[in-house]
Amino acid sequence: MSNMSGQIRKPSAARNTLGRLAACAVLSMPLMGSVAVAQETSPTEPQSAGGPPEVRRLTESQYRATVADIFGPDMPIVGRFEHGLRAEGLLAVGTSQAGISTFSFEQYDASARGIAAEVVSEKRRDQLVPCKPHAENSFDAACAKQFVEHYGPILFRRPLTGEEIKRYVRTAQAAQQRLGNFYQGLQFALAGMLVSPDFLVRIEQVVPDPKHKGQFRLDPYAKATRLSYFLTNSTPDAELLRAAGAGELDTDAGLAHQADRLIASPHFERAVRAFFEDMLEFDTFNELAKDPVIYPAFNSTVALDAQEQTLRTIVADLVTQPGDYRDLFTTRDTYLTRALGAVYRLPVATRNGWEKSQYPANSGREGILTNISFLAFYSHPGRSSSTLRGKAIRQVFLCQQIPDPPNNVDFSVVQDSSNTKMPTARIRLEAHRTSPACAGCHRLMDPLGLTMENFDGVGTFRAQENGAPIDASGTLDGHEFQGGDGLGQAIHDSPQTPRCLVDKMYRSASGRKATPDERAYVDYLNQTFKADGYRVPDLMRAIAVSRSFYAISMPSVSANTLQHAAVHTSNGDRS
Amino acid sequence: MDGNPAMRQLVLCALASAIAAFVPTLATAADTLANPFPNGEAGFIVSKIAYALSKDAKDTGACPDGMTQGNIEIYSESAEGKKHDGESDQDYSRRQVQGFQTLSTAPNGQNLCMNPEAGSPDPHYKVVTGKNIPADGIDLDGQDSHIGGKPAANTCAHDDFRGLNGEKGVDNQFFRLVGCSKSYQSTGQSNTYEIAMYTGEWAILITLKGVKDLKNSPNVEVGIYASADPIQLSPTREALTNATYAIDQDPRFRATTHGRIVNGVLTTDPVDVRFHWVVNSIHLERPLKEARLHMTVAPDGSLEGILAGYTPVEELYDFAYGFRNGKDGAGKPANLRLISGSANGQARVLDHTCNGAYFAMKQLADGDRDPKTGQCTSISTQYRIKAIPAFVVDVVTHSGNETLDKQ
Repeated sequence: MSNMSGQIRKPSAARNTLGRLAACAVLSMPLMGSVAVAQETSPTEPQSAGGPPEVRRLTESQYRATVADIFGPDMPIVGRFEHGLRAEGLLAVGTSQAGISTFSFEQYDASARGIAAEVVSEKRRDQLVPCKPHAENSFDAACAKQFVEHYGPILFRRPLTGEEIKRYVRTAQAAQQRLGNFYQGLQFALAGMLVSPDFLVRIEQVVPDPKHKGQFRLDPYAKATRLSYFLTNSTPDAELLRAAGAGELDTDAGLAHQADRLIASPHFERAVRAFFEDMLEFDTFNELAKDPVIYPAFNSTVALDAQEQTLRTIVADLVTQPGDYRDLFTTRDTYLTRALGAVYRLPVATRNGWEKSQYPANSGREGILTNISFLAFYSHPGRSSSTLRGKAIRQVFLCQQIPDPPNNVDFSVVQDSSNTKMPTARIRLEAHRTSPACAGCHRLMDPLGLTMENFDGVGTFRAQENGAPIDASGTLDGHEFQGGDGLGQAIHDSPQTPRCLVDKMYRSASGRKATPDERAYVDYLNQTFKADGYRVPDLMRAIAVSRSFYAISMPSVSANTLQHAAVHTSNGDRS
Repeated sequence: MDGNPAMRQLVLCALASAIAAFVPTLATAADTLANPFPNGEAGFIVSKIAYALSKDAKDTGACPDGMTQGNIEIYSESAEGKKHDGESDQDYSRRQVQGFQTLSTAPNGQNLCMNPEAGSPDPHYKVVTGKNIPADGIDLDGQDSHIGGKPAANTCAHDDFRGLNGEKGVDNQFFRLVGCSKSYQSTGQSNTYEIAMYTGEWAILITLKGVKDLKNSPNVEVGIYASADPIQLSPTREALTNATYAIDQDPRFRATTHGRIVNGVLTTDPVDVRFHWVVNSIHLERPLKEARLHMTVAPDGSLEGILAGYTPVEELYDFAYGFRNGKDGAGKPANLRLISGSANGQARVLDHTCNGAYFAMKQLADGDRDPKTGQCTSISTQYRIKAIPAFVVDVVTHSGNETLDKQ
């Protein structure tokens, strides 16, 4: 079906369900009412000015996925990756704001040399080098050109210009002449491409919009790149580059076809995982340390498995089913390893690997907020932290900002977790909140964080702290609840929860925070998300096929400058 | 799930249908804290184990005839074993080794560690002979036995010890066997074999069902098993509570019996058990006949006390001294040079003679009396153990490194 903006909409699982419900409407008046509301609110994409073209560095996961897709999943990457810049809550936004340090470039260089050497190695060259030279000890210009033309477009995500092809062929020739071996020549040409900004950075090019004089739009390959990294976390595949070259992405039908193809591909799961890894801030998880005397069951295996547990739950609930995003906060379905079982105090029969499991009913544990990946991550090395947990819930899942504490705060009361006169975190925090400078923020954080006090600093259940029973009551927006399961239900029911997801999803996709001019568009995405039953694949599709996602506006750059640049771009002059 | 996913009926520690259906019906975490025996069931892994012995001989007077000597020491104290004037340390050491080898060889030329039967009792091998010596353990034969008195049924005459708290009738002939060996004193190496358990070589599981009350439960079903999985440790190498372990699928390593909890003490009916044991990559078996538990049930759900029974003498010699029936990781007979080297090396380092130990244990055997010969064939053996809560499951599991074992 087609909406008012002419875009093709894919019938979602939610819509099919509503259709079935409509058929039963004569039997159920309340259901009929629901259908009517859903049909009335079927959203239409508004016009959007969009944002500027982006220059975004590949994230570590994108780099790895891109290399795996181009050269094979077993291609070793020897370099290390520095921490990304987290902006607006996401590394994906920081990629458009951070530069590349000298250390990082050294590591890119090491990775590039390693990959290039592997590609031309004797064991892989038959598979990865698209031609055979006449002789290994002489330069075969035709084969070198074929090699550059093969890898250039999939590395740079666009066709290479003639000058670019010549440059890399010359590099191969120069290296061959110095080193004597043709494959070593190819190795240096490939390493050069792998450290090129055209590979490491997604540089979006714009072209004049033929439908709107004086305005610009992404060129087809930049559009393909946005689409591909959003839906697969990797470089455009050959089919997408072909569609871009054929101009198919400039039609609603062509764009929708490619989006649906990518969503149906196994790589879509990778994109969902990458988004939630970013949103949940797992990039620093491996630095998590716990006091082994206090938390003997915590170790590096638990830290790794805890992240994977949550990501598996997310993929199962959001991609495999696909289910309602909000159910992530109430599901008891989960996955366990033996290492995790010791922390959760649950049996895990499988000795090596994962096992589908379920948190016991009435255990107080429901949803991903009661996973180790949240509870341990937002705790101190030797104690739980209601404040960190409450702050994280506000910031990560509700998109609400909590300011940093003032410099002169006295933490002595809250840090003394063995204080028998103030045995529980609630009592200690109440004492701490007597300071007016602290009270404001703690009123936001504590009512949420204290509901998770039944879980210690690694996430193991406890009924008492220092011999005193734990009061796990709390509130969210005036709604009172008890414990981690109550919190999960409150987050599930909060209207801000799906709105925050939409906001972060669009930030991740576009590499920036939505501009005020895009407010209507974000509202449209929220309405779409709701209408589609809060299903994440549907939300991602809605973004991927929307015109706003690719809209370009550059108010701060003179039209003449852009026009000049665009003409050069369209002529293929990128050097 | 590794291997065969079929679950046997015996899914313990409150597991029941939890694993196959991935819906644990066992205790919730909250229950676990409030009640260590949810549904009356619980599983354990042995986290501490050592022979139940006594204080050091120098403090008790257990060895009035002196301590056991090994062949190096025996040779060195002989006339020909004295160091010659002007003999270098290196030459003397070499001559001592030659002397050791000579003394370790039977008259028929066989190595005595591999064939202790070819030797004879060794007067240098000392056993506990002191009077009124305390020893850890429990009464196994139901009476306070004395040499000269009437032995209990199926036993041989022996002197019981008094317990560490004055209890009468403690049957612990294994302590009598090793109590005068230097390596079994508190600073010795022989009673630290749980180190191998902590390196993942073997582990022991216990399960209880039918615990109605921590203080008094008249009918408790007890399982004692070898673990198919290595013990899981904390970063500080402490055994973890609430980890999951699978029971060994070999029926020889599985035993169930009944027991009771009276005043917070669990005692069980005798049952034959068998555990794994590994020395220098030589896979061995540690049997205990008529084994029984005598353990205190702690409020935190842990068990602490005694595992006691009778160890067949021939098997005791093989797993503790000679390693003669050892297997490799693939279950084939272990390399003979490895076996011989380990047995002789141990005798040299731990200061005993293999034939001395062999004949002493036969002499001290107090259980499983052979009605034909009148000789006993097993020796009372007591272990002090601690067991901590664990999830015990009955499934087939495999090591991720098992292919290395078979190379």
